Amino acid sequence: MRVAVTGTPGTGKTTATKRVETDLDIVHLNEVIRTEGLHDGTDDDRGSLLADFDAIDEYLAGKTDLLVESHLAHHFDAERVVVLRCDPETLEERLRERGESSASARENAESEALDVILSEAVTAHGENAVYEIETTHQTPEETARAIEAVIAGDREPSAGTVDYTDYL
Amino acid sequence: MANEDSTWGIAHIHASFNNTIMTITDQTGAETLAKSSGGAVVKQNRDEASPYAAMQMAEKIAETVMEQGVEGVHVRVRGPGGNQQQNPGPGAQAAIRALARAGLEIGRIEDVTPIPHDGTRAPKNSGF
Ligand SMILES: Nc1ncnc2c1ncn2[C@@H]1O[C@H](COP(=O)(O)OP(=O)(O)O)[C@@H](O)[C@H]1O
Ligand SMILES: [Mg+2]
Repeated sequence: MRVAVTGTPGTGKTTATKRVETDLDIVHLNEVIRTEGLHDGTDDDRGSLLADFDAIDEYLAGKTDLLVESHLAHHFDAERVVVLRCDPETLEERLRERGESSASARENAESEALDVILSEAVTAHGENAVYEIETTHQTPEETARAIEAVIAGDREPSAGTVDYTDYL
Repeated sequence: MANEDSTWGIAHIHASFNNTIMTITDQTGAETLAKSSGGAVVKQNRDEASPYAAMQMAEKIAETVMEQGVEGVHVRVRGPGGNQQQNPGPGAQAAIRALARAGLEIGRIEDVTPIPHDGTRAPKNSGF
């Protein structure tokens, strides 16, 4: 089975998935994009590499039993898509603390408030494959247990369970 | 006659998965002339992002700003919008049409949806 764990940068995907106990191989996709050179161009305004989706598709092809973790994970084949959510104010603070520019932190927080990744995930995979998890007040361990529940089939699909539009 | 500075505003449409929020400001973006959200015009939570809600709120907002002398608006859409989204979302499209029907001139329409990013980001035209 393929499981994608996605969510706006800063929602805690990398931290939580490092604590997930599973037989699935965990792929930290952002790292792989760098080490395997799966990018094509840069966005100089944002200081980001442009991911090469064809190259990533190829890299993932034939690999089964994966948990793919990245804010891009929902762009690729998966049977279940976990979307981690975090209150935008908290997210913005976390990203600043992580050393991101205020413009970057702000744009990511606004993306979170507008449900950009949730909407993309639902468009690509349908509501029955999406599992939204609100993590603002959870520890990384609690989030890891919730991801394990999705993998085990012990959680129902959900989308649109949070409303962060007050941030806007 | 007043010049374009005072008779044109900016309509900011925020279209999230569950809601559509619309604000009309002056040209500088500093002064808010009118504001509404899907939640203010429909009863059911699940309808807040619907084209119907967007239309209702756009009609009211258009009336409010036209009373203040606004004749036209440039439009900035942020957000994927709605449960069956296309870019811009169905709520945003319905809102723009309703503004025009109410008698406002529509100028430039810009999609300024934020892009989630860290050291990497999706390429443009990544299918959404
Ligand atoms: N549950 C949590 N509570 C508080 N802070 C967290 C939590 N999860 C992650 N963080 C912090 O937030 C920042 C972003 O976490 P990270 O796992 O890198 O997010 P992502 O991989 O989604 O971009 C890090 O500084 C991390 O220490
Ligand atoms: Mg990460």
